[in-house]
Amino acid sequence: MLKFLLRRLMIAIPTLLLIATLAFGLLHATPGGPFDTGKRMPAAIQRSIEAKYHLNEPLWRQYLRYLGDLLHGDLGPSFQYRNTSVNELIRVGLPVDIEIGSLALGVAVLFGGSLGMMAAIRRNTAWDTVAMFLAALGVSVPVFVVAPLLILVFAVQLNWLPSGDWRSGEFRYLVLPVIALCLPYVAYIARMTRGSALEVLSSSYIRTAWAKGLPQRSVILRHALRPVLMPLVSFLGPAFAGVLTGSIIVESVFGLPGIGRYFLTGAVNRDYTLVVGITVLYGALIIAFNLLADLCYAWIDPRVRLDS
Amino acid sequence: MSAFRLFGLGLFGSAGLAACGGGTPAASGVQPVSVGTALAAEQTITRGLQDAPRTLDPSLATDTVGQDVIDDLFEGLTTIGPDGGLAPGVASSWETSADGKTWTFHLRPEARWSNGDPVTAADFVYAWHRQVDPKTGSEYAQALAPIVGAMDIATGHAPVENLGVSAPDAHTLRVSLIAPTPYLLALVADSYLQPLHHATIEKFGDDWSRPEHMVSNGPFVLKEFIIGDRITLDKNPRYWGAAGVRPARVIYYPLDSVIQISRYLAGDIEISDVFQTDQFQWLKSHLGDQVHTGPYLGIQQLVFNMIDGPFAHNPKLREALSMAVDRRILANKVRLGVQEPAFSILPPLAGYHQPVPAWANWNDAQRHAEARRLYAAAGYSAQNPLRVQLLYSTDPQNRDLYDAVAAMWRTTLGADVQPYNEEFRVYLQDAALHKAVLMQNFWIGDFPDPFTFLQLFQSGFAQNFGGLSDRRFDALLAAAANEPDNERRYRLFEQAETRLNDEADAVPLLYYTSRHLIKPYLKGWHLNLLDRMPSRYLYVLEHQGN
Repeated sequence: MLKFLLRRLMIAIPTLLLIATLAFGLLHATPGGPFDTGKRMPAAIQRSIEAKYHLNEPLWRQYLRYLGDLLHGDLGPSFQYRNTSVNELIRVGLPVDIEIGSLALGVAVLFGGSLGMMAAIRRNTAWDTVAMFLAALGVSVPVFVVAPLLILVFAVQLNWLPSGDWRSGEFRYLVLPVIALCLPYVAYIARMTRGSALEVLSSSYIRTAWAKGLPQRSVILRHALRPVLMPLVSFLGPAFAGVLTGSIIVESVFGLPGIGRYFLTGAVNRDYTLVVGITVLYGALIIAFNLLADLCYAWIDPRVRLDS
Repeated sequence: MSAFRLFGLGLFGSAGLAACGGGTPAASGVQPVSVGTALAAEQTITRGLQDAPRTLDPSLATDTVGQDVIDDLFEGLTTIGPDGGLAPGVASSWETSADGKTWTFHLRPEARWSNGDPVTAADFVYAWHRQVDPKTGSEYAQALAPIVGAMDIATGHAPVENLGVSAPDAHTLRVSLIAPTPYLLALVADSYLQPLHHATIEKFGDDWSRPEHMVSNGPFVLKEFIIGDRITLDKNPRYWGAAGVRPARVIYYPLDSVIQISRYLAGDIEISDVFQTDQFQWLKSHLGDQVHTGPYLGIQQLVFNMIDGPFAHNPKLREALSMAVDRRILANKVRLGVQEPAFSILPPLAGYHQPVPAWANWNDAQRHAEARRLYAAAGYSAQNPLRVQLLYSTDPQNRDLYDAVAAMWRTTLGADVQPYNEEFRVYLQDAALHKAVLMQNFWIGDFPDPFTFLQLFQSGFAQNFGGLSDRRFDALLAAAANEPDNERRYRLFEQAETRLNDEADAVPLLYYTSRHLIKPYLKGWHLNLLDRMPSRYLYVLEHQGN
């Protein structure tokens, strides 16, 4: 177990370094700099600002400086939001993403899982058809359509819920963003659970359980559920990272102060440090959640041996 | 104050709500609002901002969205008055020397910082020093260019003490200018020239502009600033004019202009700071008189590369192209009547006679015929058409505009002009390097004065994208710069602009407009040329519904 963890960690470090290098290189290779704005400033002034941010140094030195700071956990100052550090932007924004992300995923597992399970148990009935139709709809309707529609119906027409804003995560403000964010995942998880459940339900040990005359509850919950969840676990790791990174549109439409929006505006504004910082963070999250998924996998399925 | 906001972040926002803006039946039921005449009990005002301000440090802020908030937090020597024009701010009176180069401002003794300290002339001296100090890293140090020594200091060639500003006593500020600068009164209302609280900045350094530290002298104080979420301001009881400030709280929400519409419809914001022109008809039909547009001091124009390429040294060709553009069609069809056609570079400005070329009033047939004649005289024909590319910055609205312009050139002249776009920052870089022969050069004036527009064509100016270097034009600008009499100064600017028109150095297309949605129960606002709407004059009437 420990060996496994160490090995994964050893791979994680060069991976993150590679991510940082690529992001840094690509961004600096893009024409235009953070201080090229709609009103051009005299060259001498531009040079003095660039000197303040070390942008006048050769690229390799800027790179080494960045890596040095990165090792100390310092992601540098933001170019776009002056007098604000990238660390601070992340410290304020990440909890927002984690909150709506985990809520959305929790809701998705609960609803998607039940929907898929139900569809599998009542296979080829109207229940199954309706559930799978909804799932197909959820997968195919993009969030940038769903989110404004939710606002239009629930905020503008019915006036039940606010059309956006965060207010440190008050429940009323969470409902619509969480729904918008979780819908595709509900759908995806429902389809996955159904597929996995069908396979498990037709296996011989389940048939044995039925043959022993066990009640349905016991067959499903005690015997079938755990193996059904197996593919879900390996999906949830990357999905959580995906929810965090994929919330850009939800954040913009609902005006949430998460970091997804910075990712976009940072690239548009050539905010080098902000984009590289968030990229590295996202990379670290994906690595961490994959690792977590593997650990959970081993924990749920005794047949998995991590050290081998 | 960058033109950036106008090409800002329409990215997926427009894709999002535009779909709904197209007229889903659900959206048509905008609830009616009934408005009373008495003041509402709660005077909280919610405003949309199309982007989060980069900072609320007045020396560093460069964006229009920051300007709106800073106008509420700080007050300069002059300020925006209730009618949208200039009004005395911290300075209650001022006088100029006979040559117009020395100004003396008398500060009102009752002006206070939000911590109770008096606002003194030294606070202005400190702020202006900080603005031009290269160590501050201000992106707009050249805003102070008219002041003696400013550019030498900003470029690192002189110490900050050389700046032509002094405080003979606590309530007198003396400013020395390189040349008479009649627009100084407008300039000192800008965020860059607002006073700063020295002790706070010394104590907290770059962190001074955070809500927990900021000391300001305007009608409001900063309560919270969450970059992606909102900015909350509370009324500043120590503001000298606090008695006239009605809002107890102002909340700004940074949101894409398309998202602002849904927030507005839901009643969660009461003023939007802009909407896209292509949404105008839908908004007008659903919100009627809540949709407000007004002239805004900005020009959308094309400039020619004057260094090389087919347009350099070919005024006939340039004029043919300019003449062949049907600006009224651009304004009325492409921009749905939201924007005004531009036949000269300067937007309408009080006291300034726009030198409009004679052909602006010809009928289409006459104008097209003359354009074709000039095109032929420049050596082009159906067999030998002009083939060039037109550079603009990526934006669906820009694309509509230039596709229309290119089509006009194709039908009227037979010219083959291919618009191509580049992402905003790439475009800026390429345009500054004169990499295109024909390119957009949008400009928003910083203050209502001809100079801010005409400098775009001055030799060596950083945003002279066409690279024009016209000795006669430069001489006229220099003469205007040294002219203390504003009447005569304006006449010189008119001559300078006439020179640009005669040489057809640019193709003015459309003037900008400010575009707002404002709830019917919100009063006290005045649209103005600079599109600045201070919150202090706003108030909420009793109302039912939103």
